This record gives sequence, C-alpha cells and structure tokens, in this order.
Amino acid sequence: MIKLENVTKAYKGEVLALHEASCEINKGEFVFLVGPSGSGKSTFIRLLNKEEQPDKGRIFVAGKDIGTLSSWKVPYLRRNIGCIFQDFKLLPNKTVGQNVAFALEVIGRPNHVVRNQVPAILELVGLSKKMNNLPHELSGGEQQRVSIARAFVNRPLILLADEPTGNLDPATSVGIMRLLDRINRTGTTVVMATHDRGIVDTMRRRVVELDRGTIVRDQARGVYE
Amino acid sequence: MAMKANYLFRETGSNLRRNITLTLASIVTVAVSLALFGIALLLRQGVDNATQRWEGGIEFVVFMNADASAAQLQAVADALDASPEVAKITFFDQDKAFEEFKDLFEGTPELIETVQPSDLPTSFRVVPSDTDPDAVEQLASRFETSPGVREVVSAQETIRNIESLTNIASFIVLLGSVFLLAAAAALIFNTIRMAMFARRREIEVMKLVGATNWFIRLPFMVEGMIQGLLGAGVAVGAVFGANWALDRYLSDRNSLQLLESFVVATEDVWRTSFLLLVIGVIVGTLGSAIAVSRFLDV
Repeated sequence: MIKLENVTKAYKGEVLALHEASCEINKGEFVFLVGPSGSGKSTFIRLLNKEEQPDKGRIFVAGKDIGTLSSWKVPYLRRNIGCIFQDFKLLPNKTVGQNVAFALEVIGRPNHVVRNQVPAILELVGLSKKMNNLPHELSGGEQQRVSIARAFVNRPLILLADEPTGNLDPATSVGIMRLLDRINRTGTTVVMATHDRGIVDTMRRRVVELDRGTIVRDQARGVYE
Repeated sequence: MAMKANYLFRETGSNLRRNITLTLASIVTVAVSLALFGIALLLRQGVDNATQRWEGGIEFVVFMNADASAAQLQAVADALDASPEVAKITFFDQDKAFEEFKDLFEGTPELIETVQPSDLPTSFRVVPSDTDPDAVEQLASRFETSPGVREVVSAQETIRNIESLTNIASFIVLLGSVFLLAAAAALIFNTIRMAMFARRREIEVMKLVGATNWFIRLPFMVEGMIQGLLGAGVAVGAVFGANWALDRYLSDRNSLQLLESFVVATEDVWRTSFLLLVIGVIVGTLGSAIAVSRFLDV
C-alpha cells in the first residue's frame, strides 16, 4: 500500500528531515511512527500526502509512484488518503454536520450521498446528537472525532494521523485510539505519528522509530522504546 | 469536474459580501477607468466623423486685396479656370461677402453695424476636384503669390489642428485610463488575496480532502470577473449618459450645424460598450487569476 525507497528530504539550510528512509507498509496495517520532535515523523506523513516532495528516492502509494504524479492528479491521490491532526483543522463557522459534509461537497459528491453519508459517519464516531453544534461547543476529544469522521467519510484506503492525541488527556485518547482501531479493522491502513508512550505500549502494533531522519527501528508488535 | 452551480454562487456571493469595501473600491476603479476609456474612444469617433464631414465639403478661399484691380481679379479667375484640378469656382463680391458676414455674426448685431460691405475683401471659393489634403494644399499655395491676392485660406490646417489636438487629448486620456485599469487589476488582485486569506482554513481543508485546483480557484476567479463586469457595467452607463448629454447639448443649439456632425452613431456607442464589458471581464479575471496562481499553489 505504501512504499518508501531511499527517501531523503532536507528543508532549506536545516538538518535532514529524512535520510535514505526505506519502508514498506501493507494494506490494512496499523503503524506507529515514533521518535523525538524533529526526527522526521511529520515529514514522513506529509510526503505520503504529496504536501512535500522528496529530494531523493521514490514513494509509492497504492501502487503508484507519486513522484511522477502530475499536479492535477494530486487531488485524486488525496481522496484516497484521510488526514487527521493534533489541531483538528475544523472550520469554526460550520456545524459538525457541515464540517463533514464539506469534505464530500468539495470533491463533487452528489447531494443524496452527502445526506446519507454524514449522519452514518457521525453515528460511527458517536456524535449523532452533536450534528448541529459548532466545533467550539465540543470537547477536544469530540472535535477530534469530528475530524476523524471528516477524514473517513470518503472511505479512504489510508488514514494518516499526525499526533492525533497530542492535545487530549489520556482517557480521551483511549477513546480516539479505539475509534482508529475500529477504522483499521475495516481494512484501512493507518499510519500514526505519536509521542504517546502509553498508547504505543498498550496497542502493541508495528512501530517505526525515527531518529534525526533515519529509521532506527522497525518492529512488529513493538513498544515505544 | 462536477461543480454544483449553487456551491459556486454561494461561495462567490459570500466572498463578495465579506470584503465589501475592497470590492466596491475595485468596482469603482474599474468603472472610472473604463468610463474614461470609453468616452475618449467616443470623442475620437466624434472628431473623426466631424472632420470627415468637413473634409467632404473641402474648399479653399482665395481672398483678394480690397483694392485689387479688375485686371488682377480677371487674371486669378482665368488661372483658376485653366487649372484642371479645380472643379468649381464661386466668386464672392463685397455684397455677397457682407451677406455671409451677417449670417456668421448673427448673434452679435453690434459687430455687424461697424462693418461696411466695402471693408470686406472679395474672394474666390474654390472646390478642388481632388479632395486629398496634400493635393488641395499644393493647389492652394499656387495662388498665394499671384498679384492682388491677400491670402489663401484652406480649412485643411484648421481641421488638422483640431485633429492633432483631439489626438493628443484622447491619447492622454487613454493613457490615463490604462494606468487606472492597471490600478483596478491590482485592486482586484488584492481583493482576491484578502478573500483567499479570509478563507485560508477552508482552502486548506479543501486541499486536504482532495478538491481539485479548479474547484478551489473558480469561486475566486468568478469573484474577480464579477467585479470587472460590474465596474464595466457602470462605465457603460456613464458612456451612454455622456453620449445622451452631448446629443441634447448639440440639438439645443441647432444653429451650430458644424457641430452636429460630431454626434456619434448609436451602433458606435454599442460597440464601445461591448468593448468596455470585454475589457472589464478580462481585467477582473486577470487580476484574480494572478492572485489565485500566486497564493494557491497545491
């Protein structure tokens, strides 16, 4: 599903964000990316989404070399990749329902699909009752559930999560992880960058550890350290 | 690309309302520049029409000295008769000259009272067969040195003066309106940039979930286009208004027949209006397209 071949990425004048990173992730896997801040976790995720271009090496997503993808095709790549973030990136002036519907509307899904899918996905994340609330009326955990709903409503093949529990307390984080686990069990490949030792150690999934841009460990059913 | 029309209208509408002051500034600038542009074009058209009419009735006048002898008069008349380039000659004696003088200065009887027929020079009104300005001038200059001739006057020079004067004036106005148009494009560019800044979160999410570039761009481009179009619409109104006012001004003074030829045909006004609308749309779309391509890279 995802393959990195000797990928190197450096930002202007900075140290290497990724150095000769090679890694293969199969369909339906759940992978934790761990490592200290600045180790290249976010770059890893942004490269998969083609928000960044690698300086060297090749990246395959769903069998396609995304380095050769012409720019007008990038949106179609992204329709297969859901993204969630530490800061949720919800639109503050839209209700929960509208936030999720927005993701479908802007890729041109017909109205009846939007009408069916939005309540269904909100049911899945357990927010049916909050459909008409604005994001600021929700707790952090609920907001993250909305952002997961938005990322998953289009049934992507891959879900990328950049520190999704970074702003949440441990109890709430457990709820989010249960949701991600459920999504993973529908066959969706999940790649999650995290600092959260407790989560990694409890879930016991594949762990890829980065240190200053280099993959220093790749362990099935691993722990944080 | 499947974009719902109502999505486009909703987004464009809310963008236009959000930056209402900047939007109005862009529209007004487009309107002022295009109105100037259009009026300058029509003015030029009017002058063209007028000079064409004057040139059609082209003639030159050989004024004789008031004390020219009969022999001198006869010599000039014979010379004119003998020239193949001359189509028609009319001799104005002093009585006829006085009649014309009275016509010309109808509005100022006190001037007429001070003049006697004997004060006025006799003249030959010559219509050349070839109305090419240079040929006329050459023909006219041949009689300047004949004995008894006071001066040879052709309308040519006056027409040329008017033409060059209006050319300069309309050039300056056109140049000014081009600068204003550039300013309008810059304003639209800025308005669109502001609109995109206000919607940066939406744009970020749109990119994230895979909205196509055109889907993201189109509402902004349409917004710029509408600003250009609205400005051009106001300018078209101003041009029609100016034309109507000129029409009325000229028809109120029907004694000034010379100026009547100044009137611009309605189809010219329509053609100019169409041109203004096209330019408005181009300026608006261009300004927003540059903004969109500069600040919306995927």
